[in-house]
Amino acid sequence: MQRVRTSKQWFAVIAAGLALAGAVAVAAPKAGSTVTVRVMSAKVMKSPKFIGPAAGSVSRGDQLTIAEIKGDWYRVTGAKTGWINRTSVVDGKVALSSSPGGGGAASRDEVELAGRGFTPDVEEEYRGKHPDLDFSHVEAIEKTGVDLSELGAFVEEGGLGGDQ
Amino acid sequence: MRRALVLAAMLVLGSCKVQLTPEGLAKTWDAITDAQKELTPENEYWTGRSVATNLLARHEYRYHDADALQAGRLDGATAYVSAVGGVLAASAMETTRKGDRPAPIAGWHFTIVESDTINAFAAPGGWVFVTTAAIDAAESEDELAAVLAHEIAHVVRGHALGSIKKGRWANVAKTALDTSVQLDEASLGELTQVFEGAMDDMIDGILVKGYSKDTEYEADRVGLEIMVHAGYDPQALVRYLKTLDAEQGGGGGGFQATHPKASDRISKIQGKAQELGKVEIPKVRFARFQAAVEAL
Repeated sequence: MQRVRTSKQWFAVIAAGLALAGAVAVAAPKAGSTVTVRVMSAKVMKSPKFIGPAAGSVSRGDQLTIAEIKGDWYRVTGAKTGWINRTSVVDGKVALSSSPGGGGAASRDEVELAGRGFTPDVEEEYRGKHPDLDFSHVEAIEKTGVDLSELGAFVEEGGLGGDQ
Repeated sequence: MRRALVLAAMLVLGSCKVQLTPEGLAKTWDAITDAQKELTPENEYWTGRSVATNLLARHEYRYHDADALQAGRLDGATAYVSAVGGVLAASAMETTRKGDRPAPIAGWHFTIVESDTINAFAAPGGWVFVTTAAIDAAESEDELAAVLAHEIAHVVRGHALGSIKKGRWANVAKTALDTSVQLDEASLGELTQVFEGAMDDMIDGILVKGYSKDTEYEADRVGLEIMVHAGYDPQALVRYLKTLDAEQGGGGGGFQATHPKASDRISKIQGKAQELGKVEIPKVRFARFQAAVEAL
């Protein structure tokens, strides 16, 4: 007897098929894959944790090769060797500039990754319409980030840390 | 999976014609996500700078250790608050939930705003602000951590971005959202208009009207998880809320205008805090907190 599927059933079948296709198309990163640093700067750590000794710094656009994966951490080689958290990188080789989302001379990769919406061009337009707003404060503060790798003594002295 | 479900829904319901090729599917997905405007970390970065500037402007750009910050250094009480915030930010990155935005592109920034009104607020992209009065109201590093963790929770859960009214995107043409075409003047104008409206929505949520009660309860809950994972005393949140409760009705501004009643927040979070137990706070944490507060 021929089985007639309802719309709801077709929905489930197509969704399952597409989910499978998606899973194949977007392969999880593995040893040997390349990742690109997405954040402006990040510390490559000597062990897979945010607070502790760093092996060095990497910048947005630097490309690293995964040697090992442990949870959310990748042991990488390349510009620096050590551990970097997956939240700081994007999978694959991507041409990224130091200005997130690019601007006039943004690479195709940069624009694709940033998507459209709120970009440096939009901020420039907005600033032009609001000359009363003084962006120099956020631009200065932005350059003073908290260096998590240097908080080891603060954590130890205060009896903090837990699993960190 | 959501991508698949949305596409499947469109196919089944026949709301549009879709070429069943990988390229066709990808283009359709791009159109859908454009319409939904899921802002990327890069978009969040550019949004956050303008929100943060607006928030500082409303406080006449008065913030602590300004000279050091302008010179590119963290100093004084700002260095201390940034250290506490940094430990919490690391904790937030280690305790991520689905949909979290735990790693701002330009890192986390913690600024002490000079104000007699007890308040703390945050902008997308890792900008956390706490007023001098809010620090004065705290009696320990752990209570300060409770305040900062609540704000970090707002950022990682994308609460400000979520307050942008969805209808703002309705009049934006597809060409303004298509990353494959050069942005022309008209498209840039459309996006800037959305940006203007989005600023109003976010500042309303952050500083004027506040988020929904449920959003604030979520920030309390997530903030509690973040601070406890970092090693802070979960009871410190309840203690700080009791201080706020005593302040409630004092003037109506600051946290009172943007948050549910402190007594309601205590009722919601107290059980969870009790479950998590109590941490004996080492004397050194009290001592360094006192030293930092004296510098204010």
